[in-house]
Amino acid sequence: MAITEAKKMTTLQVKRFKPSENPTNTFLTDEKGVWAWMTTVDHKKIGIMYLVAVAFFFALAGFLAIALRTELWTPAKTFIEADTYNQLFTLHGAMMVFFVLVPSIPAALGNFILPMQLGAKDVAFPRLNLASLYIYVAGAIFTFAALASGGFDTGWTFYTPYSSDGNGAGVIWVTLGVFILGFSSILTGTNFITTIHKLRAPGITWDRLPLNIWALYATSIIQVLATPVLAITILLLSFENIMDIGIFDPALGGDPVLFQHFFWFYSHPAVYIMIVPGFGIISEVISTFSKKTVFGYWAIALSSLAIAFIGFLVWGHHMFTSGQSAVATTVFSFLTFLVGIPTGIKIFNWIATLYRGSIDMKTPMLYVFIFLFLFSIGGFTGIMLGALSVDIHLHDTYYVVAHFHYVMMGGTLIALLAGLHYWWPKMTGKMYNEKLAQISAVLIFIGFNMTFLPQFIMGAQGMPRRYYNYIDQFTPFHQTSTIGSYILGVAFLIILYYLVKSLFSGEKAPSNPWNSRGLEWQSTSPPDFHNFDHTPVVINGPYDYHKPMEEFQLGLAVSHEGHDAEHAPAEVDTTEEKA
Amino acid sequence: MANHSASHPAHVQHHFVDSDQQFDSAKLGMWVFLVNEILFFGGLFCAYIIFRAWYPELFTQAALQLDKVWGGVNTIVLIGSSLTVAMAIRSAQRNEIKGLRINLMITILLACVFLVIKYFEYEHKLHLGIAPGFFWNPAPEVTATLDHPQANIFFSIYYMMTGIHGLHVLVGIGLMIWLYIRAGKGHFSAEYYTPVEITGLYWHLVDLIWIFLFPLLYLIE
Amino acid sequence: MSAQEHHGHHIASVKMLWSVGIGLTILTVLTVVVSSLGLPSPLDILSALAIALAKAFLVATFFMALKWEHRFNAVLLIGAVVFFLLMVGVTLLDTMYRIEVVPSF
Ligand code: HEM
Ligand SMILES: [Cu+2]
Repeated sequence: MAITEAKKMTTLQVKRFKPSENPTNTFLTDEKGVWAWMTTVDHKKIGIMYLVAVAFFFALAGFLAIALRTELWTPAKTFIEADTYNQLFTLHGAMMVFFVLVPSIPAALGNFILPMQLGAKDVAFPRLNLASLYIYVAGAIFTFAALASGGFDTGWTFYTPYSSDGNGAGVIWVTLGVFILGFSSILTGTNFITTIHKLRAPGITWDRLPLNIWALYATSIIQVLATPVLAITILLLSFENIMDIGIFDPALGGDPVLFQHFFWFYSHPAVYIMIVPGFGIISEVISTFSKKTVFGYWAIALSSLAIAFIGFLVWGHHMFTSGQSAVATTVFSFLTFLVGIPTGIKIFNWIATLYRGSIDMKTPMLYVFIFLFLFSIGGFTGIMLGALSVDIHLHDTYYVVAHFHYVMMGGTLIALLAGLHYWWPKMTGKMYNEKLAQISAVLIFIGFNMTFLPQFIMGAQGMPRRYYNYIDQFTPFHQTSTIGSYILGVAFLIILYYLVKSLFSGEKAPSNPWNSRGLEWQSTSPPDFHNFDHTPVVINGPYDYHKPMEEFQLGLAVSHEGHDAEHAPAEVDTTEEKA
Repeated sequence: MANHSASHPAHVQHHFVDSDQQFDSAKLGMWVFLVNEILFFGGLFCAYIIFRAWYPELFTQAALQLDKVWGGVNTIVLIGSSLTVAMAIRSAQRNEIKGLRINLMITILLACVFLVIKYFEYEHKLHLGIAPGFFWNPAPEVTATLDHPQANIFFSIYYMMTGIHGLHVLVGIGLMIWLYIRAGKGHFSAEYYTPVEITGLYWHLVDLIWIFLFPLLYLIE
Repeated sequence: MSAQEHHGHHIASVKMLWSVGIGLTILTVLTVVVSSLGLPSPLDILSALAIALAKAFLVATFFMALKWEHRFNAVLLIGAVVFFLLMVGVTLLDTMYRIEVVPSF
């Protein structure tokens, strides 16, 4: 960190760069054509391509969800066979987790926003960034190959011996697909950690990092520490399948519970890979739309790291009924309660940020409120499941299904929607239809609760998960849930409609539509190819709403490189600042 | 660092301020990747530890099938290659391109020696029917001393660990050939030797892993 | 400042590199010798691990130059080892205290 200190002691010549409202040259106009996009190393284009890919898989997996819910309309068979049902829920879960939630916020939004919030021109390793996108695509191809070779019906958790008793090539293909996907996740994490350490613009010290960056930092650490364990697990599983190496297979003297340990050593931290970046978005949006410094900056920043750490010690709460030793279950149950603490700290600080803020109920903020409500329910029910004796009753019921949908969809996906609506003007240079956006947000809230609240009740009454039929008494709950899922489907179609429409006929977005103090908003909309046409200099915290906007638009007065010298900023105030 | 008017040499990519920032980033990135590698092998070590704790007598019996001497020789070969890679970096830092190439070449040769020895070890075991998975078919002289229902699992772990490690050696050889060619084209100098440095880090890690594999697999009495 | 600016560009001396290499070789021979002494149960594993750790320390500190690096790189290495130990330790809490080693199905 000697470098940061060296920077502090230097006097930098800075001047004000007010972003142009009519940029002629942006990253969208700079390199054009399909080939240019496919070979680009620009983090913004890569982020957008990730976004499209994630949206595609979300639509696919969402479509499967609707099919599953439709099957559950009647207690007996409605329109698909039991075996097909098993394959569909497995595919739904695997795609939503590995193809949508894990990459969604970091690789899509994070890729676009992270370098901008750091005032960097790109991530540290732009070519690896592009490689991670193609690796993601390769993983997808393997998954489709799995479908072509007979499909797989193990559930997204791939438990042995379901996944190792030789039930076809499908499992091998899909697990290898997930293996490959892991590398894309690892590359993103490696890139982000390095970028955050080494590529911060002058003045961005660790205590001036936006909370979104802290969240992505914590996420990257989890990605780097947990994903390799998934990789080796899958490799062992593949060899188990290909040549019966016997490490996990009880028939050969191996231990299937060991597979569960390995799997959850990745997959519990992975739930934090999914939710922690969401926390980052919430912190950004809540401060911008309350026009107020976040309450408890360090508490929010460090609780992300605390979650990352404790999150590695609780995986056994998924294995309470697996035959795991009583000592381990007790310890895991206790540690699970601890994770609630840093999560609770965040919620309290966000609420305190809202207190006496000038709250502006724009769409992103609406999603923040939805998030706070849904995620809190998800978190509380998680704690209940963490209680050993309660979980013996609730394990593998719809209660668990409801819990993780409240955190994954009510948390991560809602945060993703908040971030998408928040940064959409920056990413595309277009405004979306605010009224339609608010209507669909409300529809999502209603549809979501209709879909998943009844599942808590059913689960508590003993409805097991992963079944395609059920006893008659659950019919009203299942039918409410199915109707809710249709409402969700409609809401997502509306979102798709107005977002796509905004690209063609949306109003032009100003450079800073929400009057945010964030550095990413001090560029043009959409940004220049190099993000900023100067080297930004930061002298304030990212949420200092009490300071004037000018102080957030500073850059080095002397350009150190030749390029972009010709794009002179529209207005220049020459000031001298000690940074 | 703060001197932004420094000229931008050709090897510095556009998004870095200067050569040092690029060098430090590359190295940090490599270290983060090594964290990955440690946890990747960590899964295998974890499986090893758990099965060893369950079946200690199996591990004592099975290790007799491994040849301490060749394992030891291979350890020393890898240590030698780590030394030469460190020497290669030193040569690059001192702008001695010839020394860099010679050291790289020795490293490549040592890595090949390692693989050849490993090949003969595998060959010998496969010949005795000590093979992973459903190829497991031990010859009578093996079962005479190795009589344990989980014996196949020890060798599954052995093959997975040494196999994946061997794969890493192979990748290392590839990287070093690439460095050797680039060094020949004059790509490296005291100003710019980042690829040599980070490949070196990777290679030392491969050595580190073996330092643990050797006593854990071969030296159980 | 100047000492810090040379972070990561430390040029190792030939003498140092060779001493480390020879030290590692000696430790390798030592571990083989110790293993053939037939020490009683926990001691054999502990001695083998202690020697391996000493070797690892030499490689990391001198060959990988952590001694002259930004401290964060060392933090990464140690962090990775810590998380590995957590994984092993907590898994052992299960596997060592099971009623049946491998639950039958
Ligand atoms: C306060 C924090 C949380 C606690 C205490 C908690 C606790 C639990 C427990 C004990 C289970 C196991 C239930 C069972 O299978 O019997 C569980 C399942 C699950 N949780 Fe959480 N959870 C928390 C937050 C989250 C978050 C943030 C996510 C994702 C973003 C998440 C995703 C999941 C998933 C996917 C499962 C089900 C896995 C499966 O069996 O398919 N949880 N949670
Ligand atoms: Cu969990």
